[in-house]
Amino acid sequence: MKNILLASYILLSSFLLSNPVETGHAKASLISNLQSSTQESFFVGVRLEMQDGWHTYWENPGDSGSPFDAKWTTDDGVIVENVQWPTPVTIPYPPLMTYGYEGDVVFPFQVFRSQETNLQKISVDFNFLICADICIPETASLTLDLSSIAPSNLLDSQIDDLPSRILPTSSSIEGNNLLVEFQTNEIFSTAYLFPREGNIFAYPKTQLLKQIDNSRYVISIPLINPDLDSFSGILSLDGKGFQVKEQIASNSGISLWQAILFALIGGLILNLMPCVFPVISLKVLSFVSMGGDDHSKIRNHAWAFVGGVMSTFLSIATALIIIRSSGSMIGWGYQLQSPVVVGILTLIMLGIGLILLTNINIGTGLTSLGGNIQSKNDYSGSFFTGVLAVVVASPCTAPFMGAAVGYALLQPSFATLPIFLSLGLGFAGPYLVLAIKPDWIGSLPKPGAWMETLKQFFAFPMIATALWLMWVFMVQTSGNALIQLLILGLVLGLAIWMIATFQKRWKWIGLAATILLAIQIFNNLPSSSASQEDPNAQNWSPAIESNLQATNQAYLINFTAAWCITCQTNEKAALSRPGVQEYLSAQNILYIKADWTNRNEEIAEGLAKYNRSGIPLYIYWKPGMNESKILPAVLTEDLLIRNLK
Amino acid sequence: MKKAIHYLLFLSVNINLFAATVVLQNPAVNQNAPLFSGIDSYGEQINLSDFKGQPVILEWTNHECPYVAKHYSENNMQAVQKMAQDEGIIWLSIVSSTPGDQGHINSVTANELTQSRNAYPSHVLLDESGEIGMQYGAKTTPHMYMIDSDGILRYKGAIDDVGRGMKFFSASLKDAMNYVALQIDDLKNANQLDISSTVPYGCSVKYNYD
Repeated sequence: MKNILLASYILLSSFLLSNPVETGHAKASLISNLQSSTQESFFVGVRLEMQDGWHTYWENPGDSGSPFDAKWTTDDGVIVENVQWPTPVTIPYPPLMTYGYEGDVVFPFQVFRSQETNLQKISVDFNFLICADICIPETASLTLDLSSIAPSNLLDSQIDDLPSRILPTSSSIEGNNLLVEFQTNEIFSTAYLFPREGNIFAYPKTQLLKQIDNSRYVISIPLINPDLDSFSGILSLDGKGFQVKEQIASNSGISLWQAILFALIGGLILNLMPCVFPVISLKVLSFVSMGGDDHSKIRNHAWAFVGGVMSTFLSIATALIIIRSSGSMIGWGYQLQSPVVVGILTLIMLGIGLILLTNINIGTGLTSLGGNIQSKNDYSGSFFTGVLAVVVASPCTAPFMGAAVGYALLQPSFATLPIFLSLGLGFAGPYLVLAIKPDWIGSLPKPGAWMETLKQFFAFPMIATALWLMWVFMVQTSGNALIQLLILGLVLGLAIWMIATFQKRWKWIGLAATILLAIQIFNNLPSSSASQEDPNAQNWSPAIESNLQATNQAYLINFTAAWCITCQTNEKAALSRPGVQEYLSAQNILYIKADWTNRNEEIAEGLAKYNRSGIPLYIYWKPGMNESKILPAVLTEDLLIRNLK
Repeated sequence: MKKAIHYLLFLSVNINLFAATVVLQNPAVNQNAPLFSGIDSYGEQINLSDFKGQPVILEWTNHECPYVAKHYSENNMQAVQKMAQDEGIIWLSIVSSTPGDQGHINSVTANELTQSRNAYPSHVLLDESGEIGMQYGAKTTPHMYMIDSDGILRYKGAIDDVGRGMKFFSASLKDAMNYVALQIDDLKNANQLDISSTVPYGCSVKYNYD
């Protein structure tokens, strides 16, 4: 053993600057794809041509063996990143199993350098374990002269073959097996998942592949330790590798009961979110105004409101289940990805604002918040207020809600319903209490003139919401379309005035004119999809995380959309603050934005990797962290910076 | 009669199943360590049950494996063996290499190695068939197991924390966190160990396997 080390050492020292080098059982050489001396980023590769029957190891060597160790010597200002591992092969040594490479293999390393650096040569001490039946540690000291090299086609083709794409998977644990489901249109006959983590998988046992339908497969990987909440690895389909990285839904995250509880709390908090608060507070005022009335009336109104809320949540859950079963990725707030829905909501908000401000009495006054939909003195007004409250709540995500809804959407249908119903129950909670105990209304302030003032004041949050929706509308479409929407708003205002001022006939004429104009405008919507540009942010792409982790680049991802008011609030309160931006650039944290304003399957899949279906979602990673971290859904400047430390 | 045939049939099926399961077992820590018996380098039969009342440490070894070689050439393994001997702990070095493969030794070589390396095993077991190795799921050399005086398996895994990666060959083993040496006192007290399972490292055990 010692002799071999000694021999290779002597060999090395006598050819100090040589490339390639014979190490004993392999020929090692250094290659590069540098094409011009001004390139700021290029690759160097350590090529090992191993003798027949010898192999070296992947980063997880399996039951025995060791990955190599590379020590680079470069000029100042040149950074060599960690290796980008090629797709390994199985090297069985029964009853053991090892993972590695046989024959001719190239290990690519990405190199970064600043323009000013004088690029002369690059050297590496490459220590590796090479094994047949027996194992020998061998060493190659390689130096590459970068001033006179020809770019290597071999290295380029090896880089193309690297497993760089992330294949979305969904996994569960069944007994002593990890079942990993994936979807691909690749044609292949064998599949093998090489897991990175040690002490969890039974490497020597056979992994079974089953085809579910045309493009969906499930591979079962035997475990030694079924307490697994996340894993990562390379899935090899006939030797073509894909990155796999996953939190396991059932074990990580939360349980069904927790999700239901979170939904309940989240629903309750949702009442306080800026998009809902005005609508809800008006409802509260209407109850206050009934303070003196008999309790059965209050009870019935409260029940009607709860009914409106619950049936709307039920419809949303049903719609989600149906849309999901058709294979689309969708999430909370997805309806606001349609400009038509945003436009209609804008008009509703504007209409409510005008009604409140002008003190026009339509229908039965305060209880008639369902807009024009509701009729006179029955309880449908309360019912429709419930519906409306949920509809306007859809762009908001309250704390706790993200986790619960995310869980609901990734679970089978039977779990989706209870979570959404629980969300509705939380949302309607205060009114449900009122429905059960109507005499508690007595503890609210006495009705009086203050209510009229407050009512008028609430017109402003409503109009503010309308303004925000207009902005969303503009981002989704164009400035011209916004002008059309504003004209519609003008007509709506006129219609409201006519309805309140004139006789019945005019009401209907005003209403009909508004509807006709609305249809006209929504039919002619120009469909532009200009997204917001943020000069400080990079655009998100599906593989960006694994690429950045591979290059040791810290990053913060902001999943956002114009229609997500929580996201916008966070952006104003934290992310776009100069203090935060300065911190990000000082710490060299790359700021990435994933803009979900318009429908985008890739972003939906990106969210699903974090078991989320809605936004906001903030992801942070820096070198040294095993897993990227999910930041809180409501941010302040301080909180954000503390979380980045 | 019929019953007897059924019984025999049942028995033979069982035996066949047994023969087919020549895979590595995976004994659980804090449970009874699997009982075994083997022949040592002096031709004596050694049973694990003989050592009831004394803690036992198992070391899978292969003197030609570069990982084992470094542990012995730096006097690291011997130091831990000495420490165990001073504490009255039985140390069994087990060689599961099959004849013809790397590390396979006869009793003469085994005793010469003990002497020349100045090692302190209580016994060196020659496990040519790999039976004990597979029973314990020994994967690498070295691969360590610690059993307390009640016969409970308390530790399985690597000897220290420097094994993963090639830095092993340049690292000083003296500075390593030696899981065995550090937990010898706890083993004597028959406690659960703070670190009870780690990923073993080294060369593959050279089993007899078709």
